[in-house]
Amino acid sequence: MLFIWNLEFDIWNLKLYYYILDQNGLPIEKFEKLQTELQGLLAEFKIAGETARVTPLRSVQDLVDTASQRGAKTLVACGTDDTFNMMLAALKGRDFTLAYIPFEEDSVLAKILGVDSVYSGVKTVAGRRIEKIDLAKIYDNYFISYLEFGVMSHRLKNTGLWQSLKLLSSEARSFTIRVDDSYNVTINGLGGLVANIRAASSKDEKIGNPTDGNLDLLILEKLNKLQIMTYRGDIAQGSLEKVPNATVIKCKKIQFLEPRGFNLTMLGRVVAKFPATVEIIPQRLRMIVGKNRTF
Amino acid sequence: MERTLDDSLNAPSETVVGPSVKIQGDLNSEGNIKIEGQVSGKVKTSQSVFVIPGAKIAADVLAGNAVIGGEIQGNLKIAGHLVLQSTAKILGDIACSVLRVEDGAQFSGKCVMGVSGNGKKNGSSQDPEIEPE
Repeated sequence: MLFIWNLEFDIWNLKLYYYILDQNGLPIEKFEKLQTELQGLLAEFKIAGETARVTPLRSVQDLVDTASQRGAKTLVACGTDDTFNMMLAALKGRDFTLAYIPFEEDSVLAKILGVDSVYSGVKTVAGRRIEKIDLAKIYDNYFISYLEFGVMSHRLKNTGLWQSLKLLSSEARSFTIRVDDSYNVTINGLGGLVANIRAASSKDEKIGNPTDGNLDLLILEKLNKLQIMTYRGDIAQGSLEKVPNATVIKCKKIQFLEPRGFNLTMLGRVVAKFPATVEIIPQRLRMIVGKNRTF
Repeated sequence: MERTLDDSLNAPSETVVGPSVKIQGDLNSEGNIKIEGQVSGKVKTSQSVFVIPGAKIAADVLAGNAVIGGEIQGNLKIAGHLVLQSTAKILGDIACSVLRVEDGAQFSGKCVMGVSGNGKKNGSSQDPEIEPE
């Protein structure tokens, strides 16, 4: 009897969880070690499901399609932030509960979602604390975190003072951005970001709140050297609103119009070029989150 | 409970228009708006609007409260308190419940008081109320 119950439980689990494992730039030894650790933890927490590894012949898109065909209810991206973003882009409106188990130490998403290791990721999935959060869309790509233009916070994080001065002393550009189909913003600035959630978010903060149904557009104006030295930490964290003269706009739709061809990046990767439209889809995503999440 | 002007002043602004920003169109917000740059079109919020010295607005402003230190060419309909700071320049009509004008503020237009921002008379305050500096 117990055997039959266990078998049913396993089959139920198999339908429920689908783990997408992605090496994505990690050294093979490290990846295999993490994979072994993950398998052990999944068994320990009794949330084992089907695991599939991304290969040159099986993309994240293929695996999401397979998960959908097999009736999986929970998709878990195990890899880097890129793995999760690719999984989001591959959903195409299909209804899954999502989770993330980070394989890299300095993952921005892991910090946002409150999972800082493979262990805490598995524990979080087992805990099934589900939050409905807003989903941001740019063309056919979806994201939950933030996009940047001009200023690239991730480059500032690991640079010294002189390199920061060089990066932030660049010439201001003239940007034209249409907001909510209602008004045009023209600004001479260094750049900025569009945030749904950001790593610097906190529970009582209004900017970067992924449950308010809004995007936050933050734009940085030209800074002097003293301002760069004082605020480079805030800029690296994406907290542009703390920088003097920064522009902050809460909205639902942003159309980047000028300069044409200017890059929009996510974690340093170019995802689109101006002109481009970013929209928010409120409460679209069911996400398993940790208690140390930033929102 | 209605928010006082002091509450609004202390609350962070949901929308901040920086000094080098030019906005053309209707700027609507559900929170406080702080304007340091230029706006032409319309500004609307149920909360407070802060127009910083140096800012220029060519637009009608509809808000819960307003503190004006910059220039406005347009009509102001303020449901609650309107404060004209010494650097304020207003070219347009004003409708508000409570008005405070600092020395040096410039105003050219009609002023209707004891009315809410939507133009309806307040039951309690028929007479204009001017707060001393």
